[in-house]
Amino acid sequence: MAMTKSQRRISYAAFRYLVLTFWLLVVAFPIFWMVSTSFKPDREWFAWPPVYISENATLQNYLAVWGDVTTHSVDEQTGEIKTYAQSLQRPWQALGNSALISVIATTLSVLFGSVLAYGVSRYQILSEGRMFQLLMLRMVPPIVLVAPISIWYSALGLLDTILGLVMLYFLTTLPYAVWMSKSFIDEVPREMEQAAEILGASRWRTIWEVVLPLVRSGLVATFLFILILTWSEYLLALLLSKAQIVTLPVELSKYQGSTEGRVYGRQAALSVGITLPLIVVGMIIRKHLARGFSFGMVRR
Amino acid sequence: MSRIELVDLRKEYGNVVAVKAMDLTIEDGEFIVFVGPSGCGKTTTLRMIAGFEDPTNGEIRIDGTVVNEKEPGDRDLGMVFQSHALFPHKNVADNIAFGLRMKKVPQDEQAAKVKEVSELVRITHLLGKMPAQCSGGESQRIALARTLVTEPSNFLLDEPLSSLDAKLRRELRAECDRLHDELQKTFIYVTHDQEEAMTLADRIIVMNQGEIVQQGTPMEIYSDPVSYFVADFFGNPAMNLIDGEFVKNGDSLEFKSAHFDIPLPAKFANATPGKGTLGIRPENVGIGANSGGATIEREVELVEPLGKDTLLYFETEESRPFVAVVEGTEDVKRHASVTINFPDDAIFLFGANGDRIR
Repeated sequence: MAMTKSQRRISYAAFRYLVLTFWLLVVAFPIFWMVSTSFKPDREWFAWPPVYISENATLQNYLAVWGDVTTHSVDEQTGEIKTYAQSLQRPWQALGNSALISVIATTLSVLFGSVLAYGVSRYQILSEGRMFQLLMLRMVPPIVLVAPISIWYSALGLLDTILGLVMLYFLTTLPYAVWMSKSFIDEVPREMEQAAEILGASRWRTIWEVVLPLVRSGLVATFLFILILTWSEYLLALLLSKAQIVTLPVELSKYQGSTEGRVYGRQAALSVGITLPLIVVGMIIRKHLARGFSFGMVRR
Repeated sequence: MSRIELVDLRKEYGNVVAVKAMDLTIEDGEFIVFVGPSGCGKTTTLRMIAGFEDPTNGEIRIDGTVVNEKEPGDRDLGMVFQSHALFPHKNVADNIAFGLRMKKVPQDEQAAKVKEVSELVRITHLLGKMPAQCSGGESQRIALARTLVTEPSNFLLDEPLSSLDAKLRRELRAECDRLHDELQKTFIYVTHDQEEAMTLADRIIVMNQGEIVQQGTPMEIYSDPVSYFVADFFGNPAMNLIDGEFVKNGDSLEFKSAHFDIPLPAKFANATPGKGTLGIRPENVGIGANSGGATIEREVELVEPLGKDTLLYFETEESRPFVAVVEGTEDVKRHASVTINFPDDAIFLFGANGDRIR
């Protein structure tokens, strides 16, 4: 039987929501599992059937990871004392390192990237071919870079330093910064700048008063995007710095006992701590994100 | 007093020549309209005057001073763009005050001027709004106000009305005219619309392929076009232009075409025979009444009453039908056979190269 127009519309909508709901579950489940596990006592980490929401929720994992309380725990049923391998550095220190490195690298990347993008957009200082080459830098597998860079870094004394990672993150994310901010700058009509110029505004004044306010949301979106990349970078951080400077993703990999295998509860508690700052930053700038990611805010 | 002189002005983009060696003097207070098809170099010329494009060669002088090296903001110019280019993140009042702020005019004086100029272009009710809340016509008025407020001696207008609908365009056209009258400043206006050019200009500069092909008052351009191009560009409905051949017939010259042959007026007797075009404006075509020129008989194929006038179409199978305008709603029926009259002084001849034959 042929459906009427409105029936078809409703069934299409139902199908669409079904697919979206399924995808939401796929995306959200790991996050749910992370949060849930972080509150589980250790016997529930591996339990079968799995425990989804623990009835014995505890802050033990958080205290063990983030508090300076203990690296031991007592099994409530057997009374046995378990000891977990303690990481070389405390998570707070890793958090500090991560914050410092990713914020500085991201700021530099967006700053230089947007200036470069302005030049590309307005003065064609890079040809389209060059712009594409810039993007291709990102297609090189990081592992290819690691060996030569670690040799250079060791010669330059940059191994295991904050400066070393900042430089590397800044350079590897610059292509993204250029491409993303260029797309926002392209949206600002040239005539708008020329209108300001002919009214007597200097070039810098024009950029400051006309271009910047119009691309601000876009730059904020770019900033968050790159912050997420640098914040969660693992491979380079693992191979180029290990002993002195440990970032959060590297710290996370260290929660592994020699006898107990992975200590999932602790890792989950640490993961929550890694994820939370990004969510907080996202919340603070959400107004810009909605605008920045939806483009086209400039009415022509 | 502000006179703009373009001396041997040239602009090339790579191999493309946008403007070829242009010489032009624009007097103080003149309303100049650059008109021509897209790509003819009119906008490039305007942008060179504004300082957004550097000439490849030649000089731009304002008040006798060469301004080639001056920044756009230092040339005593105001400009209105096709896209109005209002700042979307500033409200209307701040948009208008922008130029004053750049020139460091005191705050209270700024407010007074913004008020004065918004009264002049009738937008006082919009001052608190954001540009996105204003219609196309309002936006263009705001753009005008933003330019007017800094009191430049010269106004550059780059197709300011082409993104508006027909009614608004007429309204704002009248506004431009009124402003020019009131301010007595130089207006340089670029358009591809011949009607705008005709109604606004003191002097029309017709451009084609980077060159000035003719300049003069609207009536001069209309009644005395120097070439096929100019004749074709001005007038609505456009001039009837019939391709054919000029043939010697004894002492006089005759025009032969696929559709009709007519003897040409005596003044063309000494013109060179050969291929060419005959032109006659639709309103000069005589229907019925014989005013002494050549005549042919034709069937009316289409009648378009417009109220005040009526358009009669002939040879409609051609890409450009032959059109005649008659006054009133004259009682001509479709398929009726009428006498078409070519008054001697209404006939234009153009040679194969497009130049006028006089």
